[in-house]
Amino acid sequence: MKKNINKQFILLLLLVFALGCKRELSDLEPATFPTTSAVFLDDFTGDLVYAAFGGSDVKAFQVVKEDTYGGSAAAMRFDVPDENSPKGAFAGGAFFSKTGRDLSGYNALTFYVRASQAVNIGVVGFGNDFGESKYVTSISGVPANTNWQKVIIPIPDASKLTSERGLFYISAGALNGRGYTIWVDELQFENLSNLSPITGLIAFGKDSVINGAENESTYSTGTFQASANLPSGINQVVNTTANFFTLTSSNASVASVSENGLITVLDSGKSVITAKLGENDAKGSITINGIGVGIKPATIAPLPTYDAANVISMYSNVYPNEPIDTWNTHWLYSTAENDFIKLAGTDDVIKYRNLNFVGIEFTSQPIDATEMTNFRMNIWTPDPTNLPNNFKVLLVDFGANGVYGGGDDASSELTFTSPLLVTNNWVTIDVPLSNFTTLTSRAHLAQLVLSGTLPTVFVDNVLFHKISTEPTVAAPTPSYNSADVLSILSDTYTNLAGTDFNPNWGQATVVSQKPIAGNNTLVYKGLNYQGTQFASAQNVSDKTFLHLDYYTTNSTSLKVYLISAGPKEVPFTLTVPSGTGWKSVDIPLTSFTPTVDLTKVIQMKFDGNGDIYLDNILFRK
Amino acid sequence: MKNIKTDFNIKIALQSLLLISAVGLFASCKKESKQTLPERSYKLVWSDEFDGLEGTAPDDTNWTYDIGAGGWGNQELQYYSSSTDNVSHDGFGNLKITATNKGTGGAPFTSARIKTQGLFAKAYGRIEARLKTPSGPGIWPAFWMLGEDITTNPWPACGEIDIMELRGQEPYIINGTLHGPGYSGGNSVTKAYTLTDGRFDTDYHIYAVEWGVDYIDFFVDDYLYNRLTPADLAGDWVYNKPFFLIFNIAVGGTYVGFPTSGTSFPQSMVIDYVRVYDEQ
Repeated sequence: MKKNINKQFILLLLLVFALGCKRELSDLEPATFPTTSAVFLDDFTGDLVYAAFGGSDVKAFQVVKEDTYGGSAAAMRFDVPDENSPKGAFAGGAFFSKTGRDLSGYNALTFYVRASQAVNIGVVGFGNDFGESKYVTSISGVPANTNWQKVIIPIPDASKLTSERGLFYISAGALNGRGYTIWVDELQFENLSNLSPITGLIAFGKDSVINGAENESTYSTGTFQASANLPSGINQVVNTTANFFTLTSSNASVASVSENGLITVLDSGKSVITAKLGENDAKGSITINGIGVGIKPATIAPLPTYDAANVISMYSNVYPNEPIDTWNTHWLYSTAENDFIKLAGTDDVIKYRNLNFVGIEFTSQPIDATEMTNFRMNIWTPDPTNLPNNFKVLLVDFGANGVYGGGDDASSELTFTSPLLVTNNWVTIDVPLSNFTTLTSRAHLAQLVLSGTLPTVFVDNVLFHKISTEPTVAAPTPSYNSADVLSILSDTYTNLAGTDFNPNWGQATVVSQKPIAGNNTLVYKGLNYQGTQFASAQNVSDKTFLHLDYYTTNSTSLKVYLISAGPKEVPFTLTVPSGTGWKSVDIPLTSFTPTVDLTKVIQMKFDGNGDIYLDNILFRK
Repeated sequence: MKNIKTDFNIKIALQSLLLISAVGLFASCKKESKQTLPERSYKLVWSDEFDGLEGTAPDDTNWTYDIGAGGWGNQELQYYSSSTDNVSHDGFGNLKITATNKGTGGAPFTSARIKTQGLFAKAYGRIEARLKTPSGPGIWPAFWMLGEDITTNPWPACGEIDIMELRGQEPYIINGTLHGPGYSGGNSVTKAYTLTDGRFDTDYHIYAVEWGVDYIDFFVDDYLYNRLTPADLAGDWVYNKPFFLIFNIAVGGTYVGFPTSGTSFPQSMVIDYVRVYDEQ
């Protein structure tokens, strides 16, 4: 080691002699990667590779010899396509070095830019290597016009960039539906003397305080940013990654903070989460005032057991969840705060505190629940649920335009009260979407709004599901002696001939017969009322029961009528929905007498609602 | 902060500079180190070290205020106040003059302009301050002097010595300037000094003039970047009488242009000290 130093010292002396300038020993450390500054001056420098982003116009980029900066030999040109262009949705790609470069001696990526019209270029940056992209740093909405202008992207902490492969990337979309052209030239890393030292920012540079933080609640430090003052005196904020930052919790027993900025509350007390960018303190902090164990359900929410094929889940541990933009939009006048916590170490639930109302948005990717029949969520509240306390669920569909307003929105709100709501118990809200009466479309659902008089609500298993109204098994096969049976509709017995199962009585019900598990079944879809006309008057006075099997998952009212000439009719109320599977009833014919003359039965009738499956309608002894 | 507050022996410093200059002939790395300066020695006669408690106003035995809006002859946008929001000690041995975008009195910005008028004035000697400038488009900090007879002998006849002024959109260039009868405003006699390896808003620098009967030398960090003598002026040499000191931050105006959406507020000039020496 000593020898080494001596050698270096001699080398140092030689260098001093040769250059006439003082150099530091550290300058002589061999660089592992080339320190080349140029990315594109008059041509690509080094082993650069260009790759277009997926979905972009892959031919948007080219090197041109005209319209260059300062008459240089060549410039980069990006042709942004029109909206809906078959070529691609935008222009964008990354330029990366196959081997990597040592950029630790620079403090900014700079280039000149102009455009064929005044635009704000979507995003421009470096660090995108189509791989880990650990140090992606970018500025968004970069203003460009028809004059060449210099853009400076400060490097948050160049000492980390000793083998950086992502040297430049750009992405730009159409403006007002139309494409345009961007030129970039003199693209290089520089060590600008007139760039101020850079300051890291967490929590947008603000000192924020979270009071009442309960154990297991998690919070985010927010976007990682850094700000440097440009030679023009204005601050340039870059968006970057956690990999440049070192995060610290002042009291690790109260709150922990992960490398990527996820804060987890562990105990009561105070902890301040701060960050360093390199050696320097970043601006912004998050103070956690922990209150220890908060109220929470002792058990996990009842797990939904629907077939995954019949579910669109927004929040559950059972099904893959749709992307949700935010579980708390923090709309004006909303006091709601939310924490994401785990129950029993396995079940993720959302806890809303100070809930007056909270907006939940999924506008980026609206949910098409057209095929679904029900909305389900579990809630748990420690608050009083006696009347008039209530919990409200509002669903909002943004319509075909996919944005709020525009005249094609639809929404509907349901209010839930006791006895459904119970304090300190998981409550399953599972309602037919048809109950949201003014939700005329559910093809572009984009908002869910929760409100009511319960300040603390735990939420889980928020999902849409489809309840099939059709049985999967056949009705039970009756085993009566055929001599004792007058069958109207059954596969087991010979049916009375000439029965009209769909006489036109002005009903709305859609009638059909279809095999269910190979067994012919009578189906009433959307029942209001429905008659059955016998070919002739039947004498059933020697029979004891009207037997029928029925199945319905969505009916809330169902009556069957026996009708004799006159007509004279008497209803019998059936229990609906039918519960799990088929229900068989044997209705004593005495239920219909004496009004109905059992010697002259001419018709039957059902009324009520829902989808009804019927089989084995027969009179028996 | 304390170590830089130790009493400064300008003579030793200048001698050191000469020594560095000699070394510089061999090293030949820094062009400024070739400077050879006339040997002068000074003794401290007046200073404010700004050691007040945090949030306190500047010492009223040294400083008074210009207050109000109206552009101050340059279409400036600020309202000058005496509020400690705009000028106060920071508790770390500095005075902070702060320009804010919280308007008052019909002006969109507030700031401060403090001066020694009526309290202290000086002819000749070395006048220096160690400070960090603010920055940003439309921000115009200055450390300067006006002839004490300005009340009876209006500007520009009274004379003006600008030891440091800076346009916030170029936070690495300062100007040293003389305004007087026949050479004021756009026709003033000025010279810029540009930092090639840093900025005036990120580090402290020492701005000074050394002023004799027939010369005014302008320094940044003891580097002499301009000397003005009567022969350099298009009008009378009016610098044989006492001048008082001024520190201020203007916002907007004809010299600097207007703030943009990219100008961040508040912006502070942080002054470590101001010292006035007599030549021995």
